[in-house]
Formats: sequence, C-alpha cells, structure tokens
Amino acid sequence: MTQSENGNGLVLAEKYYSQYGSRARELKAAGRKVIGYLTALGPVEIMTAAGVVSLRLKGNVSEAITKGDAYMETIVCPFVRNVFDAAVKGRYDFLDGMVLPHQCDSIDRTDDVWSDTLKLPYWHFLNVPHVTDEPSVEFMKDILRIFIQTLEEFTGEKITDEAIARAVTAHNENRRFMRELYALRITDPPLISGAEMMKVLVAAMSLPVDESSALIKGVTDEIKHREMPPSTEQGRRIMLVGDQVDDVAIIEAIEGAGGRLVMDDLSIGSKMYWNDVDATPDPIQGIAERYLRKLKLPTTFVGTGNNYQETLEARFGHMKQYIEEFKVDGVILFVYKFCDPYGFEVPAIRNFIESAGTPVLYLEDEYSISTLARLKTRIEAFLEMIA
Amino acid sequence: MAEGKKPRSLATQAAAKIAKFVRGNMSATLKAKEEGKKVAYAYINDGQDEIMRAMDIVPAWGESFAGVCAAKRDAEKYLQKAEADNFSRSLCTYATCTIGFDMWREELGGQTPPDAPWGGMARPDMIIGSAQQLCDPRFKWPQATQHYLQDVPVFVGNMYYPPWDPNRNHHEQEAIYVKYAKAELLELVRFCEKHTGKKMDWDRLAGLVDLTEKTWNLFIDTYELRKAIPTPMDTGDAMNTMVPITFNLATQDAYDYYKDLNDELILKNEKKQGVIENEKYRLLWGAGLPSWFALGDFQYFNDKGAVFPAEVTYRNAEKIERLDLPATNDPLERIAWRWVRFWTHWYDKARKRPGSSPKVERIIEYIEDYKCDGVVFHSAFSCRSWHAGIIHQAEILRKVYGDIPILIMEGDIVDISSYNEVDTHNRIDAFIETVDAYKRKGN
Amino acid sequence: MERYYAGIDIGSTMTKAVIVGETIVASVIGPTGPEHRKLADKVMEKALNQAGLRFEDVTYIVSTGYGRVNVPFADRQVTEITCHAKGLHSLLPTVKTIIDIGGQDSKGIKIDGGKVTSFVMNDKCAAGTGRFLEVIAETLGVPLEKLGEVSLSAESPAAISNTCTVFAEHEVINKLSTGEKITNLVAGVHDAVATRVYALVKKLNVEPDIAITGGGAKNVGLVKALEGKFGCALLVPPEPLITGALGAALVGKERYEHALGSGQTLTRSGQGLQEARLFS
Repeated sequence: MTQSENGNGLVLAEKYYSQYGSRARELKAAGRKVIGYLTALGPVEIMTAAGVVSLRLKGNVSEAITKGDAYMETIVCPFVRNVFDAAVKGRYDFLDGMVLPHQCDSIDRTDDVWSDTLKLPYWHFLNVPHVTDEPSVEFMKDILRIFIQTLEEFTGEKITDEAIARAVTAHNENRRFMRELYALRITDPPLISGAEMMKVLVAAMSLPVDESSALIKGVTDEIKHREMPPSTEQGRRIMLVGDQVDDVAIIEAIEGAGGRLVMDDLSIGSKMYWNDVDATPDPIQGIAERYLRKLKLPTTFVGTGNNYQETLEARFGHMKQYIEEFKVDGVILFVYKFCDPYGFEVPAIRNFIESAGTPVLYLEDEYSISTLARLKTRIEAFLEMIA
Repeated sequence: MAEGKKPRSLATQAAAKIAKFVRGNMSATLKAKEEGKKVAYAYINDGQDEIMRAMDIVPAWGESFAGVCAAKRDAEKYLQKAEADNFSRSLCTYATCTIGFDMWREELGGQTPPDAPWGGMARPDMIIGSAQQLCDPRFKWPQATQHYLQDVPVFVGNMYYPPWDPNRNHHEQEAIYVKYAKAELLELVRFCEKHTGKKMDWDRLAGLVDLTEKTWNLFIDTYELRKAIPTPMDTGDAMNTMVPITFNLATQDAYDYYKDLNDELILKNEKKQGVIENEKYRLLWGAGLPSWFALGDFQYFNDKGAVFPAEVTYRNAEKIERLDLPATNDPLERIAWRWVRFWTHWYDKARKRPGSSPKVERIIEYIEDYKCDGVVFHSAFSCRSWHAGIIHQAEILRKVYGDIPILIMEGDIVDISSYNEVDTHNRIDAFIETVDAYKRKGN
Repeated sequence: MERYYAGIDIGSTMTKAVIVGETIVASVIGPTGPEHRKLADKVMEKALNQAGLRFEDVTYIVSTGYGRVNVPFADRQVTEITCHAKGLHSLLPTVKTIIDIGGQDSKGIKIDGGKVTSFVMNDKCAAGTGRFLEVIAETLGVPLEKLGEVSLSAESPAAISNTCTVFAEHEVINKLSTGEKITNLVAGVHDAVATRVYALVKKLNVEPDIAITGGGAKNVGLVKALEGKFGCALLVPPEPLITGALGAALVGKERYEHALGSGQTLTRSGQGLQEARLFS
C-alpha cells in the first residue's frame, strides 16, 4: 500500500498480476479467511462485510490443462476448465472456501465437481436468477440472505446491515477510482496502455477493497502527468468485448500490431466498474438491483424494450456510449468456444455495433495462448482493414 | 422421431405411432392460423404447458423440429445457415438448427423453406422461453430467434429449484423457490393474456393441472411395467414414447397415449414377450440426450443381447404421491410445487448416503429397481446442460455404489459431423464384453 | 529510373516471391521448408536473377503469409488478407469476393476497390483446407495433383459426413472396404471440402464476381464443387499461387509512393541476403 503511494503503482500491479493471489495468500498466513469466487456475479460487498478476503479466481492462459480434464468434460467453458485445473493443481490451496454464482450451465452443472474435488471447508452455490423482473429482484434478495446466513455460520460472526452499508460505500468508491483511471484512456494516445490496464484490473480483483482502491489511486496519480510522445503512425483505437479475458496476451497482440486498446466491455473490466450499488435503506435491495439489473452480462435476460430495437439498446446501448466517449475505431468481440450465453448474441452484437458505423472483428477461441499465433493474423488484418 | 435413415425395429405398437404424433404436432402449428389460434415457440419441461394449453396457444417445439431434422439426417443445411451468421458450431444444435430454419423462412418472406422435414413449423406469434435451471439456451435462444423475427414478442420467465448441497436442508428454502416460480408463472399468464387478447380461464387451468398430474402418474405406472424380465420395452422405444409427455403435456391425447401403451405392456408381460428373444444384459441409460441421427445404435445394443429397461433421460415425471405436494387450490402454486419437488425429490435420499448426489441416487434407484448390469451415458458436445458433470456422476456412482460397468459414449444430438459409427460400435462391443465378464464373475 | 518492389509470401507449404516494376518482372514459387529464413533468401535471390536485378535495385520489400515475421530482409510485414485483396484486384478488378484455399487454412475476403471490407479465416482444423485433401489423397493412393481430375470422372459422389480429418479418413477407408468406387470417394471428399469452405465464406455477404486463389484453385475438382455451391463460375487468376506475393509488392509500392507524395522517403530497413549467400 505504501509502495503505491510512493509512485510504484504500476510495479505493484505488475507484481500482483504475475503472482496472482499472492496478497490473499499472505493475508491467509496472517490469520484471515479467504473465499474464492467466480465471475462478475460474485457479491463482493457481502464478502467484504463478512470480514473475509474475497479473491476472484482466474486461470492461466499459458498453462495447458493437465489434471482438470480427468474430472470435467471438455465441452465445458474453456475458462471454467482452466480455473478448475489450476485449483486441482493446488494453485489456490490457501482458500477456506468458494462461492460459485449461477452464471451459466458450465458453472451450474459443475458445482459438485468443484466442491467434491476441492473439499473446502466452506462452499456455496449462489443461485442468481437470469431474469430481471420484480419477482426476480425479490428472489435475488432472498438468496443473498441465504448467502449471508451461510457466511455467518462459517465465520461465527454476525453480518450487520451497517457493515454491509460500509462495504457498499467502499466498493462504490473503488469503482469510482477505477472509472477515473479509465478516463485517462480517452486522450490520444491514451496515458495508459491496454496491457498496463489489464494488469491493474487483474491486480485489483485480487485484493481486499481498501488495498485495491489504494492501488488504483496510486496508478492514476503515477500516470496522470505522463508525457506521451505524439503518435507518428496513427494507432487505431480498439475496444475489446468479452467475458473473462484476464491476460495481456491478446492485448499485446493488438498493441504489438500498432492498435491501441482504449476501452473494454469485459467482465473483469468496465462491466465491474461502471455501475454502483445504490445505498438503499435495506442494503440488500441495492445489491440485488445492481447485480441483476445494472450489471450487463449475457447471462441476464433483458427484454425491457417495447420493441426489438429498444431491447437492443437496453442490452448493448452502453457499448455505443463507450465507442463515442473513448473514440473507438474498431471493436474486437472475443468469445470463448462452448459459451452459449455469449455465442447466441454474437449476430445481434455485431449487427448493433456495425450498423452504428464501427467495424467488428469476431474471434472465437479457447482460454489459451496456444492459439494466439492464429489470432494475431486476424487482428493484424483487422487493423490493416480499418487503417 | 422414428424415421431415421436406419429405421430401428420398434418393439411396441405404441412407439410406432409416434411419427404420426410428431407430424401432428408440427402440422397443428401450420393449421393454427386457419383456426384463429396463436402459435408460440416453446421449450420442453418448462412448467408452462398447462398455461399455454389453457390459453389455446399452440406450441411449436424447436427441440422436436431439430430432432426430426437430425433423425432424417437433414439438419446440416440449417446448421450451416446459422453458422453463416456467426453462430458457433459449438452452440446448442437444437437451437442453431431451428434458427437456421427461421432465417431461411424469413429470406423467403415467410414461406416455409422447400423440403422442410414433415412440412416444417409455422412462424410463431410469440416466443415463450424460460430461464428455468434446465439450460442456458432456453433463455438465450428466444432473443437469438427474435433477431430474425423482430416483430415477434418474447417472454422469458424463471423457475428455479434449490441447489444441491449435502450440508443444507433444502426444504428450508423451498418456500422461496415456490413463491418465485408462482410469481413468474403469473407473469407468463399476463403475457399470454396480452398477446392472445383472452382472459385466463382459471377453472380450465386447474382442470389441466389435474390432467397433467394424472398423466404423470400413468406415465410412471406404465414405465414401471418395464421392470419385468424380459423387459417389454427399452430405451430405443422410449426415445419415441417420450413425445406425448414431453410435447403434449396437459392434453387428453397424451393421457390416452399412455393408456394404450400401458395396455400393450401389460399384455406383453403376460406373454413374457421381451424386446429381444434372449435378453442377456440389462443396461441403464444413465444420462444424456441421444444422437437422434443414430437411434439405430439402440438396435446395435439389442443385437448384442442388451436391453435398456430404464433411462433417466426424458423421464421427466414422477408419481405425484411420492412428491408429497402441499395442498393448495391455486393452480399456479400447484405447478410450482410439482416442478420444484420434481427436481429436488432425490435430495433427501442422497443426503443419507455419504458422498452421494441426487443424480447418482436416481441412477442407483433405477439400477436396483430395474435390475441393471451396467450404465451407459451419452455425452453430446453441443449441450452443456445435460452433459457437463457426467464424468463426475460416473465417478460418484463407482464410489458409493460399487464397481459396475460404465460406458460414456460421445456424439451430438443433431450435428452428425463428429459422429463415427465404426468407433461407436467398437466401444459398444468392448463394453458388452466387459458387462459379460462382470456377470460371469458375479455368478 | 524505374523503381522495383518485391513481395514475398511465406505460406505453410509454398513460398512465393514477386518483383514488380511497371509490370511483374519476376515471380518464383518454391516449397516452404522448416527453415523459413534460409528459404526466403533463396527464393528472393531466384526472383532477382529472373528479373536481372541486384538486391540493391529493389526499393522496398514487404513480406506476408504466416511466416512473414521470418523474413529478415523485409522492410515491412503485412497480413496475407490485405495482400491477397491488393494482388487479386490488380489482376481481376471486377472481383468482390475472394476465396483462398491454402495448405493449412482457408479464407474468404470481401473487397471493394482493392480494399478489404471484411474477412473470415478457418485455421482451427484441417477440414476445408488443402491438408484434408492431402491426407485423403494419400489414403486412397491417388497423386495429389491428379485428385481433381479423378473427381470429375465420378458417377455420384459418396456422402462424407465427418468433418474431422481423422474421422473422415476412417469413413473413407470404411467406404472403400464396402466397395465404393475411388472416383466417387474422391468426388465426395471434394464435396466435403467445398461444403466447409462454403459454410465459412457464406459468413461474408458474398457478391460476384468471385475469384479463387491458393493451391485449391489448381484443383479442377474442387473448383467445380465450389461452383456448384455458390451457383456461379469462379474466376481463377493465371497463377493463383502468387496473388499474395504480388499484393505484398504492390502494398510496398503504394506505401513508398504515398510517402513520396507527402515529401518523405522511406528508407530500406530490412537486412541483406546474407545467409543465402553463405550457402550458395
């Protein structure tokens, strides 16, 4: 923490990025309890309020799956398989427990594969609904209360409404800091490269909220006054859209070919940071509404428009705003193979963005760099195409 | 779905009638327009059958259409159509096959594409999806379809059930789930009222809930007749006889169909008439949707002296008394309780056997009740909902039940491009040899 | 003084070099070996000999193809997508859609006035590529270059349902053992490749004229099968293997002239042809 205040934010981000989970491991050694979770649907406010260290799990795109396939089918989402493989290999052996939010079939149908294989002291499947109407918000509140109860039983401590409200404030502040950092990407050239930003995003999700906020602020202070050389060759400004892309490999492919990653709609990126939890008298209400209605994930059915066009705006309109605000020249839509939630909306997203005048490159791939060389040619050709 | 390229000889008369049944369902959608009825794209086992039927909405089932295309080995043209608009080949092929058909029909200005299997399905007036915890495609597919049929309204409701957790008593959570499911069913009623311009006849709905419960009971009574040795009907037939309970629930036709099947099976049992003459091995179809283009593989098992007296797949019904449903007069609440309890009624039993799981408990129950010598699973690459977690089920089964021969076959439901008949038959041969060795060892 | 520009295209199986001045002054094709660097030099030298030029006479060199980074003497690397579009447009200006079937990948490119407007690539599996045909040719004992002709003499193509190369190979062997004629099998395999390529290219909003390039363009059986799928004749450039290299040379020319127009001179930044000389 003190390091980041001394202007070493990027160095710290690099450290937590390359030694993922190392801070949680330290805190565990110091006596804290660590709960791992998957996906943007992990309600971090509640975990923070419970006094546990929450750690969003990631895999490693450079590592081949060597153990997980003995337990889990290869038709499962490649990201889920990779994280599971890492867990089976002991990369997360310091966890006290895990919460698996119901994001998709790949998680829902493998819940017992995870829990039976890892045998952690605490386990919870958070049955998040896929629709957003009024009864669903009520249901979301009910299942969040069940989640709170199980955490209380596990830690032996009551989670008060006041503690939740405080956690809401802390996480909202964390989101605001991250948005301020994102704002430094609006200039041309952006003050922070896409690869640097990715490291900050990954580091931020591995830390307790106060440390995460300090890290983000440290990075912002550090780069705010950066003098960027005016670009000689026009670098095209790219937005990356997808689920959990959590490695610099694909970003380096973009930036190595002269493109500039200036914005994202990723589940560890802007999706996490663009929408706050409203402070409501019952703090659970605001949390339920944020995860169900504000968070724009393909696993949440949104049908609120009066017609198809309006519904498209409700589903993807934020991407158009990003394109405008961050002066995006081209969008790369990166979807993992075997992903039904994203896969079924590829034609709609493409059409929506392209009809607004921004070209889209759609890539379907594994959660692995073994295929990166093939992606590079497509990315380079796309950059040449929009040059 | 009996009309495969390699027609399988069906054991029962009833199964042979299914082709007509399926054809009837498809043509009902085409006739609906003349009869002034609305057509809805619908998805199986969503708990929405009684409501649709009570509102005279004619369901058009993509899963049935795609299954027919697959059985006729005529799905590729639709799969390619969807692929051409960037739907990945790894997505649910029921969905991509049907969407491909929809895209083609739109290109033809609403005319049914030429040579559509059994005349195809009508363009829907609405799409009724469900985010029920059955699979992701049933809440993604509706809007993916709407992308091509933009004027067609879409409804997606939710119906969950408490997740399995060996350390928690799920009964404590049931009320939350039932309340939610009931509220979502009411949302569906409102949607149907809006788009049909009719009011729900609640008495009629209650009558259809009665009929559905009666059908569930009769269905299970009928299937239990397959416990007989030799078994009078096996999974090869059941992949046909699943049609009425799956696609025609809440209709008198479905009930009558199982009455006929029941009579037929009783008669066969009296005459000790089995599926095959010399029944040597009894197998359980443990999980997985079949490869509709390769139903002939069941015949291959039969030719080796093996029969499947029971299957988990499409046995989506249970004896109502076993579900122990709380008394209520609200038909929506009855539907909600029935489904919540259906998905969770193996939990209590599973909790009693350390290390077990509800899915495995169900498998063990069938192995014991139907006296099975081995278990076959089928893993379809395009469907995660049914087929993720099968390796684990097999593992738990071995651990908590004991050593039993298990075969996991690989293929797909609709996409034939990765199916390898020679390889599949080789695996079956090896499996039968294993089952045979186990039997000898046991005797 | 006439300026010369070179393009070198390192594909998975073939390496191509083209030098252009006012017209094409050299074009060379050689196999790609495991050592790209050495081979690039050799092919380049051959092209220089053909044109009667020295290395220093070439103003700018662009490399392309999947081995494009392994050309030390190139001044710039550009993807084969952009180069195919540029090269083909210079040869057949009416073409709007390009199908390229190479040894290990296949692609579709939509162009408008020589500029790429969208593209698709398949390189995840061998289905729909030259590799698929190569495997089957070997299985059936038909020389690869005869495969196309053989398929034209089929009475009715055999249905090959597997798209996985390994499975399809099994399927072909199996059908062979049940007495299916080789000609029908060869035609069936061509149909299967054409089906995969068609499914890929259909993702583009396909408009005529359609041209075919790459090794696949030299297979009459495949071209015929594709024409059946697309429902129109496909244009084949005189030498379908060199469009990428030609395009690369033209991209270099355009870049150089554009810089010149805005008062800059691009200097050669690549290295010389050292290795090849060491070994020649």
